[in-house]
Amino acid sequence: MAEYWNINPEHESAVRDFFTSVPEADVVLDFEIGEKDFVNSGKGSAEVKNTLKRLGIGPETLRRIAVASYEAEINVTAHSQGGRMDSYLYDEFILIRFTDKGPGIADIEQAMVPGFSTADDLVREMGFGAGLGLPNILKNSDALHIVSAQGESTRVEIMIFYGN
Amino acid sequence: MSEKRYYHAIQILDDNCTGCTACVRVCPTEAIRVRDRKATIDQNRCIDCGNCVTACQFHAIIPRSDPLDIIQNFKYKVAIISSSYAGQFSEDVSYPVAKQALLKLGFDEVAEESYVTEFVIRIIRDYIRTHKEIRPIISSNCPAVVRLIQVKFPSLLPNMLHLEAPMSILTRFIREEVQRSKNLKEDELGVFLIVPCVAHVTAVHQPEGAYKHLQDGACSAGMIYGKLKDLLKNIQNNPQEIDTYEKGLTWALSGLEGEMAEDKDIRALTVNGIENVMEVLSKVEDHYLDQYDYIVLRSCTNGCVGGCLNIENPFVAMSRIKKLIREGKPFDFDTTELDDLYKEGEFAVVPLKPRSIMELDKDIKTAIKKMKQINEFLIMLPGLNCSACGSPTCYALAEDIVQGKATIDDCVVLLKRHTKEEEQ
Repeated sequence: MAEYWNINPEHESAVRDFFTSVPEADVVLDFEIGEKDFVNSGKGSAEVKNTLKRLGIGPETLRRIAVASYEAEINVTAHSQGGRMDSYLYDEFILIRFTDKGPGIADIEQAMVPGFSTADDLVREMGFGAGLGLPNILKNSDALHIVSAQGESTRVEIMIFYGN
Repeated sequence: MSEKRYYHAIQILDDNCTGCTACVRVCPTEAIRVRDRKATIDQNRCIDCGNCVTACQFHAIIPRSDPLDIIQNFKYKVAIISSSYAGQFSEDVSYPVAKQALLKLGFDEVAEESYVTEFVIRIIRDYIRTHKEIRPIISSNCPAVVRLIQVKFPSLLPNMLHLEAPMSILTRFIREEVQRSKNLKEDELGVFLIVPCVAHVTAVHQPEGAYKHLQDGACSAGMIYGKLKDLLKNIQNNPQEIDTYEKGLTWALSGLEGEMAEDKDIRALTVNGIENVMEVLSKVEDHYLDQYDYIVLRSCTNGCVGGCLNIENPFVAMSRIKKLIREGKPFDFDTTELDDLYKEGEFAVVPLKPRSIMELDKDIKTAIKKMKQINEFLIMLPGLNCSACGSPTCYALAEDIVQGKATIDDCVVLLKRHTKEEEQ
C-alpha cells in the first residue's frame, strides 16, 4: 500500500491536526460515480460548487474547489470501476474524499507527472486522458492525500481552505 | 447590502392566480413562491426572463410594457424595431409593409436595430481584441442574461462585454442626428423600442450600466402587432418606397450573431435557452471554456425570436428572418459619426455590479449552521419536489423554513401522511 502526501506549508499544522482527530462535519454531500459514466460525471462537483456558493465563499476559492473536484471525479469515472465522492464542509475548509473500487494506481509518483496517462481509447475519445488530472488537483488544493496499491481501491482526499 | 428596489416588467394578478405553482417550477433563480394560494415574486432574485409569463395558463402573470398612448407626450416620436419583429408577420406581408405600418400608429420615424448590426459587430471585435487579458468575453445584449450573471455568477461580471446593446447605440445616434436635423429640444424627442421580451422592457426602465438617459418607453411587439394587423391590408395596397436593412437582421438569431463575430483570431460559442446558458456559465466559471474569445448567450430559444412578447413560434420566425437576410440587398452605411462616438467612449457602460442574493448568511459559520439545519429538514421532507407547498423543491422549502419564510406544515404530503397515521 503506497501513500502520497502534499501539504501547503501555510496550512501544515491545521491539516495534521485535522487528520489526527477527523471531527464530524456539519454538512456532508455524497455522490455515486459510475464506471465510464461520462454523461453524469461532473454533476457531483457541480453540486459541491453550487452548495458552496450559498455559503458566500469567494470566486477564486470556488474555482479551485470546482477544478480539483471535477478532475478527481473524472479520474474515478475514467480509470476506476466506479466509486463515490463524499464532501465534508467545515467552518474553514472543505474535505472531499474519493473512494473507488479499484484497480488502484501502480505508481503514484509517476501518475503525478504532467502528461503521464494510462487512459484507454474510450476515455481519449471522450476528450479526456491528457495526463493533467492529478497535476491539476495538486495545483488547486491545500492538501492532497492519496492511498493506493495496484489491484486495490484508491482513496484520494483533497482539502481546500476558504481563505478570507 | 443596499436595499435597492429593482424594476420588473412582470406583474401578478392575484384575482387570476390559482396557486397552481407552474411558474414556481420554471423560474431559473427560484424567485417565485406560492403562499396563501397566491404566487409572489422575490424582487431581488427575479431576472425578468419571462419563463413564468409563458408557463402561466391563467393569465395571472402579465408582462408589463408601455401603452402606445405615451408616445403622445413627445413632439417627435421615433420607434426602433428589434430585429425579431421581422419574423412576426406571415409571408404575404412584406417586411417594408410591416415597417411602415408603424408610421400609421403615430410614429414620425421608424428605425431598425438591424441598421447598426455591422457596426456593432465591428466594435465587439475591437473590444475582444483590445481586452486579450479577459477570456472569454461574454455578450451583454440579453438583459435577462446580464441579470442572471449579477445574481448567480457574479464572478463573471468582469467578463461581460462592457458596451451598449445595438438598440441603445442606435438611440444615441438618433438623439444626435434627429435632434439636430429636426431642430428639437431634448425633451421633445421621444425614442421608443418595440421589444420581443419583458427583459428589454425592464432594461429600458432600469438599464444596467447606462451612463445616460436613453429611451422613453418600450412597447410589446405582440401589442403592436395586434394594433396594426387591421391596417396591413390597406398599406399592402398602397405601399410606399422605404429603405429596409434585412442584411442586419442577424441580431435576432443568437447563432448568427456568434458566426458574425467569428474571425481568424476570434472563436465564438453561441448558446440559447436559459438552462443551457446556466450550464455554460458554470463551465466558464471553472475556466473550462477559456479557449473561446466570445460567448453569445441568449435567455430565449433561438435568441430574441423566442421572446415572450412575440406572437410567432421561434423556429418559424427564425426561418422567415433567415429568408429575409438571404434575399436582402447589401446597403452602404456611413459609420463616420458612430465611429467618432465610439472613439469618444460614448458606448461604454459603467462596470456591472453583483446582486448577491444567493448566500444563506453573510457569515460563513452561520451559513454552514443554516445549511446543516436545511439538511435536517430535508431528511424529514418526502423528496418528491412536487411544489405543492409553494416552494419549487423540497430543498427550497427546507431553506425557506430555516430562513423563517415557511414552516414544515406547509408540506402537503407530510400532512397527509400524518393524518393517515392518526387515523390508524
